[in-house]
Amino acid sequence: MNPVLDQDLSLLHLILHASVPVQLVMALLLVASLMSWWFIFIKLFALKRAQRLTDSFEREFWGGGDINAMYQRVAAERDGAGEMARIFEAGFREFMKLRRQAGQNVNVIMDGTRRAMRATFQRELDGLEAHLSFLATVGSVSPYVGLFGTVWGIMIAFMGLSSVAQATLAQVAPGIAEALIATAMGLFAAIPAVVGYNRYTHDIDRLANRMESFMEEFSNILQRQSTTK
Amino acid sequence: MNLPADAPFVSRPATSFAAGALAVAVHALFLLLLVIGVSWQTQHPAPVMVDVWESLPQLQKPQPAPAAEPPPPQPEAVKPPQPARIEPPPKPAMKEAAPPKPPDIALEKKKAEAEKLKQLRAMQAAEEKALADAARAEAEAMKKVREKELAEQKKRDLLRQMEEEELMQRMVDEDAAREVRVAKATEARAAASRRQAELAGVVGEYRNQISAKVRGNTRLPENLQGNPEVRCLVRLLPTGEVQSVKVTRSSGNPAYDDAVVRAIQKSSPLPLPADRDARIAFVPELSFVHRPKE
Repeated sequence: MNPVLDQDLSLLHLILHASVPVQLVMALLLVASLMSWWFIFIKLFALKRAQRLTDSFEREFWGGGDINAMYQRVAAERDGAGEMARIFEAGFREFMKLRRQAGQNVNVIMDGTRRAMRATFQRELDGLEAHLSFLATVGSVSPYVGLFGTVWGIMIAFMGLSSVAQATLAQVAPGIAEALIATAMGLFAAIPAVVGYNRYTHDIDRLANRMESFMEEFSNILQRQSTTK
Repeated sequence: MNLPADAPFVSRPATSFAAGALAVAVHALFLLLLVIGVSWQTQHPAPVMVDVWESLPQLQKPQPAPAAEPPPPQPEAVKPPQPARIEPPPKPAMKEAAPPKPPDIALEKKKAEAEKLKQLRAMQAAEEKALADAARAEAEAMKKVREKELAEQKKRDLLRQMEEEELMQRMVDEDAAREVRVAKATEARAAASRRQAELAGVVGEYRNQISAKVRGNTRLPENLQGNPEVRCLVRLLPTGEVQSVKVTRSSGNPAYDDAVVRAIQKSSPLPLPADRDARIAFVPELSFVHRPKE
């Protein structure tokens, strides 16, 4: 007799009784949200580790240690040494090779060394930036996807209203409530993704700046070494 | 010099697994918050404005009458078995008639025997004794039979008494039940009348509110004299909005009639009670009496 009062408006009920397109949208958004949070945590760990390793490497490098000994150690533990250490290792290896082959031509040696370091730098940067584009996509697209689900749900709710003689708010309210869940999910997926994307691009930019300045400084050191010898 | 950071080296799969677990945990947390939040909101069922106008009056009013009437027939239906149970008492009387027969036969026998005894007294003293013994034995037997019958009768009387008591008890119970039913019916009637009074109060209150609102909007024509009465039939929407106003009894002053009609239209939406039963007095048609002064 009273179709509205005995309706269950709990979240689970709303999700399970939504129309199929809205449910699909919700599932898509749930997957997107899970993936973006996964990447957010992966990036969080990876960037924290990169920053820690870079800090320790810089401290060691500028602490005035023996470059040859450092090179040996970094070459031995390539994976665990960090991005900046790998750039250092690539540059120093190239420098040694070229000095043995090209003899005294400083420009040739330094160009080769710089190229080797730049290549490693690009590769490391690429590794750091992996998955960031996914976060950007989720951040920009999932609100629209959620909005699509909401619009669809509201459309269905109003279509149902057209077949009823006496229209009351209670007849559309459940439909709109279930449709709005889609927008809520879209925003829930988008907000952390956007925040994570901005934060990580900023962190990666700073890391890249540090690496580039290190490359320049290391090149200077190598050039000085090759001319004095 | 040693790299301080080389000790806590985390392999990539472990990191991604931890990240996945954390992602799932974040979602579980959010879902939990959402479920708690939404269930908290459902404590107040928002859709209260459900208007089912037509079916309500028929549904609510007839109910008390059928509920009150059915009880009386029931006791009558239970009564018929009672007479059938009262019948048993006559039976013992029928049985009482039967016992006297044996004594008659015994007496005749006795008399015959006595005659024989007189004739043969001299002949057989021994036989006499035996016969006397037999007679005594018979008398004893008769006594026994009578005692038995008496005992049976007592039993029967007891039984009858018990049955009567049971009957009485049953009747008392039924009386009590009927009293309870009557009390319930009167209570229901009292509740209904109370409800009626309450409704009347609400209706009166809203009538006053409506006439106050209309009076506030009425602009009296200058040529009005006295306190004439206008009766209008106002068609209302469930929301209280005025659909149409019709003057059913004019005051005799057309300008004043028009002023009242305009005032009613201006007062739309009229205040209506939230109580559905009370609304029946106002929606869809309200007979409205207006006087310029209280």
